[in-house]
Amino acid sequence: MIRSDAPVLLEIRDLQARVEDKAILKGVNLTVRAGEIHAVMGRNGSGKSTLSKVLAGHPAYTVTGGSVTYRGENLLDMEPERRARIGVFLGFQYPVEIPGVSNLEFLRVATNARRAEQGDEELDTFAFEDLVRERLQVVQMDPAFLDRSVNEGFSGGEKKRNEILQMALLEPLVAILDETDSGLDIDALRIVAGGVNQLASPDNATLLITHYQRLLDAITPDYVHVMAAGRILRTGGKELALELEQRGYDWVDEELAALEAAAGRQPAEVA
Amino acid sequence: MIHVGPRTRSTIVSKGISAGRSANSYRGLVQIGPKAVGARNYSQCDSMLIGDRAAANTYPYIRSQQPQAAVEHEASTCRISEDQLFYLQSRGIGLEEAVSMMVSGFCRDVFNQLPMEFAAEADKLLALKLEGSVG
Repeated sequence: MIRSDAPVLLEIRDLQARVEDKAILKGVNLTVRAGEIHAVMGRNGSGKSTLSKVLAGHPAYTVTGGSVTYRGENLLDMEPERRARIGVFLGFQYPVEIPGVSNLEFLRVATNARRAEQGDEELDTFAFEDLVRERLQVVQMDPAFLDRSVNEGFSGGEKKRNEILQMALLEPLVAILDETDSGLDIDALRIVAGGVNQLASPDNATLLITHYQRLLDAITPDYVHVMAAGRILRTGGKELALELEQRGYDWVDEELAALEAAAGRQPAEVA
Repeated sequence: MIHVGPRTRSTIVSKGISAGRSANSYRGLVQIGPKAVGARNYSQCDSMLIGDRAAANTYPYIRSQQPQAAVEHEASTCRISEDQLFYLQSRGIGLEEAVSMMVSGFCRDVFNQLPMEFAAEADKLLALKLEGSVG
């Protein structure tokens, strides 16, 4: 929902970043206010996944320019764990498996870290078990998943639901979901989308990074941004996603080339 | 592990953790005597490497004088990967605690066999020893 008086949660200005010696983000500008749902679409290689990793503070990426403020604070200066504790959540495209670490234990430690930051009292094992059983409903997951190691042996759909479960427990203010719909069948997609919609509120915001339109049938975005060659090329409403679905991404390349030519530079190579 | 009598059984579980520039070696002997008909041994040797300069070696010695005995040995290696650490950090868990959680998980099989107070001490001592070993 767009409200012009809603507080700005995330302000990204001219963000540039590279991985090893390859420049990926070349000046991203984006403002996210409370209550909004943004979709970021683009080809593989456009930089959309990199954007999510940079916002979360992944060590493999180096910021080479620009700024990101979260609720007025400089986000880029913070360690990844601090960003998470103050309410920035990244739903991974490929959630990693952590054998030996129980899912329940991991969720409890993470939830308490967030609660401590917010000044809430930390939950003991019993109180937490009550909370998690309640939140399991959001993603329709079986409690048996709590006793297993984090993501170990989980199917693709189960891993994504585990991400949304974490979102339900951590209650972030800005949730960045990186291709949460990739690899999901129709039922899993419905559950994940249902979870995201249930958790969306006028006080938080969601950034959906997606390649396909179909997720946006289930989660209605307020803004759709198209990324290409490390920049947001165009912003529109949900109709823009439908346009992309129909026309594909080729016209994006053409527009990018035209822009580069108009600016007097060589057309950039779109990955 | 020395088997003398018939139908004796034993299990060896070894968990080795190397960090920094250390090299950890497991050197074990399973000896089956001539009278140990139907004896069985299973040895599991797991190594965890923290950082990319650590190493682990396994030297299993098996000396059997009884063909009707079964001796099995399995070895595995795992790393604490940057992606796993980042996943935990992205959920608000600090680096030291993340390493500690993964190491405790790795050692669980062994710690679960120890008396509780001793296991708790071992857990804490391990975390202390590994302080500063990542990053």
